[in-house]
Amino acid sequence: MDNSHVALVSMMLKAESFSPFRCDRNIALGINLSSLMKVLRCAQNEDILTLKAEDAPDVVNLVFETSESDRLSEYDIKLMDIDQEHLGIPETEYAATISMPSSEFQRICRDLMALSESVAIEATKDGVKFSCSGDIGNGAVTLRSHTNVENPEKNIDISLSEPVALTFSLKYLVNFCKASGLSGTVKLCLSNEVPLLVEYTLASNSYLRFYLAPKIGDEE
Amino acid sequence: MGIKQLAQIIHENAPDAIKTGEIKNHFGRKVAIDASMSIYSFLVAVRSDGQQLMNESGETTSHLMGMFYRTLRIVDNGIKPLYVFDGAPPKLKSGELAKRFARKAEATEQHEEAKETGTAEEVEKFSRRTVKVTREHNNDCKKLLTLMGVPYIVAPTEAEAQCAVLARAGKVYAAASEDMDTLCFDSPILLRHLTFSEQRKEPILEIQLDKVLEGLGMERKQFIDLCILLGCDYVDPIPKVGPSSALKLIRDYGTLEAVVEHIKTDPKKRYTIPEDWPYQDARELFVNPDVRPADHPECDFHWNAPDVDGLVKFLVTEKGFSEDRVRSAAARLQKNLKTSQQSRLEGFFKPVQKTEEEVKSLKRKNEEKREEQKKKQKMEKKEKAAAKAKPRGTA
Repeated sequence: MDNSHVALVSMMLKAESFSPFRCDRNIALGINLSSLMKVLRCAQNEDILTLKAEDAPDVVNLVFETSESDRLSEYDIKLMDIDQEHLGIPETEYAATISMPSSEFQRICRDLMALSESVAIEATKDGVKFSCSGDIGNGAVTLRSHTNVENPEKNIDISLSEPVALTFSLKYLVNFCKASGLSGTVKLCLSNEVPLLVEYTLASNSYLRFYLAPKIGDEE
Repeated sequence: MGIKQLAQIIHENAPDAIKTGEIKNHFGRKVAIDASMSIYSFLVAVRSDGQQLMNESGETTSHLMGMFYRTLRIVDNGIKPLYVFDGAPPKLKSGELAKRFARKAEATEQHEEAKETGTAEEVEKFSRRTVKVTREHNNDCKKLLTLMGVPYIVAPTEAEAQCAVLARAGKVYAAASEDMDTLCFDSPILLRHLTFSEQRKEPILEIQLDKVLEGLGMERKQFIDLCILLGCDYVDPIPKVGPSSALKLIRDYGTLEAVVEHIKTDPKKRYTIPEDWPYQDARELFVNPDVRPADHPECDFHWNAPDVDGLVKFLVTEKGFSEDRVRSAAARLQKNLKTSQQSRLEGFFKPVQKTEEEVKSLKRKNEEKREEQKKKQKMEKKEKAAAKAKPRGTA
């Protein structure tokens, strides 16, 4: 979760993404992200990565193996206590689910960001409309369901049980879109008055999920 | 002012209770601010060349400058402020107030003397100590707040108590004051440093009462007793009882009654209780302060659009502020009133309860940390003592 508790990221890497995978009991490892980034930069793209932690660990161990040159590098990162409260995310039936090419979503967010800091997402049976208004004027992008037979990654699929209209901060969405490189498609799930779920599906049933709290009009 | 050493005790015994963060993390929240304390701090701090700011006719404008720009900063960060002014002080405070008055008088004398003989630095130091918030200052600020569209309320007695009641009732998210006794008045959350200048780059401290009580292993009643023992505005502290002995006394005996009993019957006569020590009255003031209940019609607050022309007339024509800056500030006030608010995830996702095992391990870790700190401090002391003990010239 970010400092101001507006957005939350959750990434699930299933056991089948690893080979081998062994975990004797559930264990939580608190890792400082910038430290992890530093160490991951020491790896090369084709390296085999092994993650290891003992029972009641002080460190997590990362090993990078380069298969062709027998190079072996090994790093330990000190663990930290994460004192933040852990939020439980309830299973939600969303009123609207939209899947589209991740590049399309990225483009919409970037384009609208130029005009305003927030975007209204309206999903109706006709399609989904992303609109915003700012000091210089206003803008809107509308998408409809669309099937591309040759390239199913370019499909736009809207399924809807009731119309939804919500407003979100574009600053956060643009940051979410940085995950576009990980997956060709993105799924947006919305229900009125509930945080937005932005999901990037990864290989072997794994996923990267972002949740974003909506902006609400004042109650007074 | 406030409770002696309470911040330190909380920091040592309940480190989880204090969170530091940036002001922008509190966007979208309503906060009740102790106005009297803020005005005082503006009069002390908002200065140029050591002199209070004045308009052409020599009236002080430091308080207005502070109130206007610091409120603007709060609003700019999406927080809805609400100011609470002090009413008449409770009778018990008269002792404390008399002391403050005496200190002021002394400072005024020293100020005069410094003007004659002292350096510029001394003059400035004593002039800061002579600062007093007058009725005019309060009225100026009330007028300014009305023009800015920011609500305020005058508490029947202590402003902190009123802030606390509003926070407890959920009318506002937190009480903002520098005064630690806001916690004794049962404010669930206390924000410190909210009205500080941006340039000081002080992080906002958020102190949560339930975590303080958990960390100290006390109930609210014991906590109040502890605060009285530490020294509050209402009764004098017991001589020679410092923070660590106060904590120990309350932990050992549970209530102030038992502590008093113990002190009186202690064969070693380590402490003497002051003759006039109405601790029960002080406790009563903390438990049942004279405040407006939160459902009182006066506690129905609205944030309105600023009166731009009124602001210009008051601040620019009467008080000599720069018109451009006032107008652009008013535009910002207007804009912040309109924009839709970002909500938070906590409103939708509930925190998962920590399992007992996790709580235990957390507690153990905290204790370990504390031990380590203590050890470190001891070592440092020892080293210092050793360095001192060495005769000069041999090192």
